[in-house]
Amino acid sequence: MALIERQSIVEGLIRILGKENVITDEQVLKESSLDRYRKYEQVCEVYTQPIPAAVVYVHSTEEVADVLKFANEYQINIVPRTGHSAIEGGLETALENSIVVDGSQMNKVLKVDQYNMQVTCQCGVPLQDLDDMLREQGYTTGHSPQSKPLAQMGGLVATRSIGQFSTLYGGIEDMVVGLEAVFPNGKICRIKNVPRRSVGPDIRNIIIGNEGALCYITEVTVKIFKYRPENNQFMGYTLDNMKTGFEVLREVMVEGYKPSIARLYDPADGAMSFSHFAAPGKCVLIFTTEGPAAIAEATAAGIKEIVARYDECEAVDPKYIEKWFSHLNWGPEQIAQEREEIRATQNIGITTEVSGCWDCIYEIYDTARRRIMEEVPDITLIGGHSSHSYINGTNMYFVYYYNIVDCPPEEEINKYHNLINRIICEQVVQYGGSIAHHHGLGKARAHYVHEEYGSSFYMLDTLKKAFDPNGIMNMGTLIPLRK
Amino acid sequence: MMKLLLPFSITPDLEALSEEDWALQPDLKVDTSFTPLDWNSFDESALEMSLKLSDNGAAGSFCFYRCALTVGGMPSDRFLKTLAALKFDELVRVDPGDADLRFRPEVVARLIADFAQTQAHPDFILMGRQTQVGDNACTPLLTAELLGWPCVTQVTALESADEHRLRVTGAVDGGTSVQTVSAPCVLSIGDAPCTYLRVPTLKDKMAYGKKPITLLKLSDFPGAEALLSSPNAELRSLAPIRKEREGVLIEADTPEEKAEILYRDYLKGRLNRL
Repeated sequence: MALIERQSIVEGLIRILGKENVITDEQVLKESSLDRYRKYEQVCEVYTQPIPAAVVYVHSTEEVADVLKFANEYQINIVPRTGHSAIEGGLETALENSIVVDGSQMNKVLKVDQYNMQVTCQCGVPLQDLDDMLREQGYTTGHSPQSKPLAQMGGLVATRSIGQFSTLYGGIEDMVVGLEAVFPNGKICRIKNVPRRSVGPDIRNIIIGNEGALCYITEVTVKIFKYRPENNQFMGYTLDNMKTGFEVLREVMVEGYKPSIARLYDPADGAMSFSHFAAPGKCVLIFTTEGPAAIAEATAAGIKEIVARYDECEAVDPKYIEKWFSHLNWGPEQIAQEREEIRATQNIGITTEVSGCWDCIYEIYDTARRRIMEEVPDITLIGGHSSHSYINGTNMYFVYYYNIVDCPPEEEINKYHNLINRIICEQVVQYGGSIAHHHGLGKARAHYVHEEYGSSFYMLDTLKKAFDPNGIMNMGTLIPLRK
Repeated sequence: MMKLLLPFSITPDLEALSEEDWALQPDLKVDTSFTPLDWNSFDESALEMSLKLSDNGAAGSFCFYRCALTVGGMPSDRFLKTLAALKFDELVRVDPGDADLRFRPEVVARLIADFAQTQAHPDFILMGRQTQVGDNACTPLLTAELLGWPCVTQVTALESADEHRLRVTGAVDGGTSVQTVSAPCVLSIGDAPCTYLRVPTLKDKMAYGKKPITLLKLSDFPGAEALLSSPNAELRSLAPIRKEREGVLIEADTPEEKAEILYRDYLKGRLNRL
């Protein structure tokens, strides 16, 4: 695809960024050709994707613009990257001689504006560092995805990330105030920070969730909130049926309560975290509330009143939930341990997150789960939980584990992972939900983009053609490559 | 057929405890009741090693009878069901009632020895060398002593030698020993590499997971129960180990200068002492 050879690409990049910022070490290139979508290949150190020409470190918006202009001129595929925590193939270098543009060294917090309650930072600021810094000052981003110890601000915005406290704070799209991004022709666009405006379409949403397929995010301004953990309230319940659990969640949302966490685990998924208090076969329902003391208490009281109407729900000691709450996130240590376990047991765990309105979410959950049990070999666990609720519906986070049996690493993705993804996507499409709630489409689920978008695919396709006419931005992500 | 008895413990996941959770209660214990449960890692190694004996090769043709024994409440049943799905032949849980046996290795060892002599009649007993909580590393040794059997410690790998003997790899001072061991013997499993317990498929869970669990009480083991009233040690005090770290920021203009300061002020002296 690229109009120049690998060596010329590297030389061009060195001219722009200097030798020290252009990495061509073979192992780095291999590891940069994929993300955790191909977790088993990563563990086995088998690399099936085209190896990029270089990984480059950028330090300013202007450098990003120069690299993109160069790539645009010579039609070289660009894969934008910050924290490298993607899990849907969004970071795979699908074309030969791609350039991985790593923004992790653009890691300055530019302004903490406590009066206007917003913080501006470069794309490579780690969310954990940002939130730790804010918490020391009595504030928080309110954004806490499980990948918080790994993810960085640019990638979080690019994938339309959501945090575990979303029911109160919203997804990243509700937090982003303003942005700066670079388009393939080198054009730098800034969207100013205002509380709201009515000046045509909300163009922030061209950038939020673009998954690196339209532009490169260089700067982000997000809202901040008061941090008051001392007011947190925790509630937990066990119950027999997921259907009842969805009804409780719906009622909490419809009545207008805003817990920071509202979660429903099925017995299989719940057993991994709650078997020390939930009997086998029990579902687990969890709520936390936060904010000013009066609001946190009133929200908790309202939720308790709703749950009390369901005889099936039995309250558990809140301390169980408080302990669970303090171990929510995944960092490098957990990933290292997971790799060791996969190597030892050949058993691997994956997740797929989808969403649906209240009238279909149970059917999505139930039919997908049943099909996976029947159609996928070597399954050791299939379960799921709802963790982000809205007034009109909720998400379902499928969690599944399987043993890898008689299967070379390069075939695992099709024998197991893609088969399960396909079943889930088919059931979601059948019932009218969305095939991706917060991980992004990446390359893993880009094949279902037409079913997902329907007639509105025209708009996505037009955006891609308009902003990236030469097709250099993370090709294969959002829109699949033509074979 | 070689009979294996596998006593195992289910323990709270101590890594899930935060610093403030380590507060001592009046009875000098730490409350772990709100903590998720997990296999004791050394026992997990023992269980997996017992399964590996039946894996591949000529040795895989030997027959083994595996009896898993644990002392604990209802939450342990979930773990026993996993072993049932992994086709363990016999599953036994001894309910200790109100007795707290976490720091009573002499009681647990008596119980295991009595169970071995009166019910299981094993050729080998495979068990982890210690638990994360009790941390005494003496239950296997006490069990062997009570039975009058030899005990091999720090076992890191097992293979079948023939129908009646095992080839046992173990860590010894400065090296590794491999010995062929005849029954009866207690094998105390040490720090074995990569011995996570394999995971049963859902199909096997459905097919074998409902195998009945034999439920016994502590009173079924009068010898062990009698020891409860006369502890051989009394806990008098506990104090946390002081763990303090401090950091120094090395300031210089270039990485080379920083490296020079690091070497001169912090590494050189230490390296000279090696």
